[in-house]
Amino acid sequence: MKLVRVSIALATAAFAGLAGAAEPIKIGFSMALTGALAGAGKGALIAMEIWRDDVNKKGGLLGRQVEFVYYDDATQPAKVPPIYTKLLNVDKVDLVVSSYGTNEIVPAMPIVMRSKMVFPSLFGLAANEEFKYDRYFQIMPAGPEPKLDWSRGFFELAAQQKPKPQTVAIVAADAEFALNAAAGARENAKKMGFKIVYDKTYPPATTDFTPIVRAIQATGPDIVYVGSYPPDSVGMVKAANEVGLKAKMFGGGMVGLQFAAIQKNLGPLLNNVVNYDFWVPEPTLNFPGVKEFLAKYQEAAKGKGVDPLGHYLPPFAYAYMQILGDAVQATKSLDQAKIADYFRKNTHDTVVGKVQFGKNGEWATSRVLMVQFRDVQPDNLEQFAGPGKRVVVYPKAWKSGDPVFPYKQ
Amino acid sequence: MRGWGFPAACAAVVVAGLAFTELADNPYYFNAAYVILQALIMAVAWNILGGFTGYVNFGSAAFFAVGAYTSIALLKAAAVPLPLLILAAALVCGLIGLGVGYLTLRLKGVYFAIATLAMGIVLETLINNWSYVGGAKGTAILTPDKHLWFDSYSEMLFMVMLLLALGSVAVSRTLSSSRLGRGLAAIRDDEVAAECSGVPTLRLKLVSTTVMGAMMGAAGAPYPYFVSYVDPLSAFNLFIAVNSIAMPMIGGTAHWAGPVVGALLVGSAQEVITVTISSELNVLLVGIMLVLFITLAPQGIVGLVRKHWKKRA
Repeated sequence: MKLVRVSIALATAAFAGLAGAAEPIKIGFSMALTGALAGAGKGALIAMEIWRDDVNKKGGLLGRQVEFVYYDDATQPAKVPPIYTKLLNVDKVDLVVSSYGTNEIVPAMPIVMRSKMVFPSLFGLAANEEFKYDRYFQIMPAGPEPKLDWSRGFFELAAQQKPKPQTVAIVAADAEFALNAAAGARENAKKMGFKIVYDKTYPPATTDFTPIVRAIQATGPDIVYVGSYPPDSVGMVKAANEVGLKAKMFGGGMVGLQFAAIQKNLGPLLNNVVNYDFWVPEPTLNFPGVKEFLAKYQEAAKGKGVDPLGHYLPPFAYAYMQILGDAVQATKSLDQAKIADYFRKNTHDTVVGKVQFGKNGEWATSRVLMVQFRDVQPDNLEQFAGPGKRVVVYPKAWKSGDPVFPYKQ
Repeated sequence: MRGWGFPAACAAVVVAGLAFTELADNPYYFNAAYVILQALIMAVAWNILGGFTGYVNFGSAAFFAVGAYTSIALLKAAAVPLPLLILAAALVCGLIGLGVGYLTLRLKGVYFAIATLAMGIVLETLINNWSYVGGAKGTAILTPDKHLWFDSYSEMLFMVMLLLALGSVAVSRTLSSSRLGRGLAAIRDDEVAAECSGVPTLRLKLVSTTVMGAMMGAAGAPYPYFVSYVDPLSAFNLFIAVNSIAMPMIGGTAHWAGPVVGALLVGSAQEVITVTISSELNVLLVGIMLVLFITLAPQGIVGLVRKHWKKRA
């Protein structure tokens, strides 16, 4: 009789164990799947799902499968607080990560902070400056001083040229990121002894950039720093070619030139433009796992209306999940304090290279690359999948070629 | 007894709201309710000019945003308490409403609508270039640690929004059933005839633009505390304007209860759909409902119900 009882108890325990193992780990987030940032948000989601599938194939985290609970924030900040309170209090997720972009990250901060959750975040620019939350970790490699680090490479490169360029024009869109980039550029230009001859902003809805480029041309600057969003970046590059801008360096902080569709659209007009980037398929940046990840991404992205190559955001969306997963595995727990400690104290191996977090949860050292477009052929998307078209010219540690200078004679 | 019905109902809602904050401890409900109540105030406010007076305003988001930015400007200067922020925002937006009323007094119909749209763009450009409140970069606002006797700040914001919503419904109800409301209805039906019959059309129009502006401003005032980060793009969001037009249209514009019914119905449906299906469907839902109601039931839900009752009577 005793034996029967013991075996029943054992069976129950085993069953409970099995049931426990079957209970998945829930990771919650909001993502911009519609609205202005939908293209990027959908790409990020594909990358995150690849990570989830990779992890689940290997047996999950702590022996439990990983499950996502996510809602579309429609790129509207007002939707974010209800979503995160639902995730934490109704869905009772075990872990949270952020949506994409500063505007969608910050509204979640007070809620995440109240429940003391670790908050890995995706491409927020100085989003933690006010909150100073010690469990916030941001994956975009803008570095501890994002505003300055964003354009430092551009001006350092210019300063290294001989003869050293003297004058600079700074032009930026009247919106969040571009203004931050321009402010940093201004500071860097002054620090490195350039004379600013043009410094203006334009409204975000501008479509004709020819007058702006003409006005810049009239001041005759040696280098031109542009802080712009995807549609304006296209307009700016086209206008620079139409007007025949005679600067020695052109580019800097143009968002959009990292996207495959825009690269294909602009084609040879991009040649010699020097612009920021975070990852390009150059041999110096061939981190373990990144090629395999991109192959999966490019397969999954087909027909989804997202960036077909996925060099800009997706690897980082994969990486921030990767670090979170590693933290859970290494600490063998879902204890937020332990996970945060792991984030803080370790250097993390990811598909975007080694990541170490520093002040305010930003990368301890910046890895804003300056890449130069070279030998770009018209109407060819495939050329951007391999090396040689976007040569890393800054910083030294990741350099894959020397800059061609000047931009246009 | 009839005279006491509305105040009693309001008191019951306040008590129910307080009980809700005591009983429910799930912040999600408060945040979701906040969004619905915010939409309700916007809809009620829009209806005062759009429904009662017949002037379509596309610039609701601008009033809302100026309300939010009034709070931000004051908070940047000093630690102003929330009730004062709401008062100040209502005052500023009321004045802007008055100004808009004056400037556009000759404009009617579609021209008035275009003027309000333009006003939104002008105000957005102004905020974009005003670096004190963050300019185009936007600004982060930290929620205060104190929240009276409530368990959390979101509970308190919910209660504040509930009181504001009840206040705006009361104002709208009083307006619609008063002499002033009948004057507004006369303007809606035929402005020239109203003027000829001795209705002071300009004064009444100014009253309705001012009240509308003040309400929308009050709805926007607590917004910085709700989202913690405000930038012009999200504060001047077209969706706010579209919602505040669609909700009264669906609920019924002729009666004060129309926007309330519309906002509760559409707002709740949107919140549910966001967390069950997708946000993309929200916009589609609003669009489809708007088209259906405008073509099949131009008087809205309240109109349908009234027709039904009349038939039965």
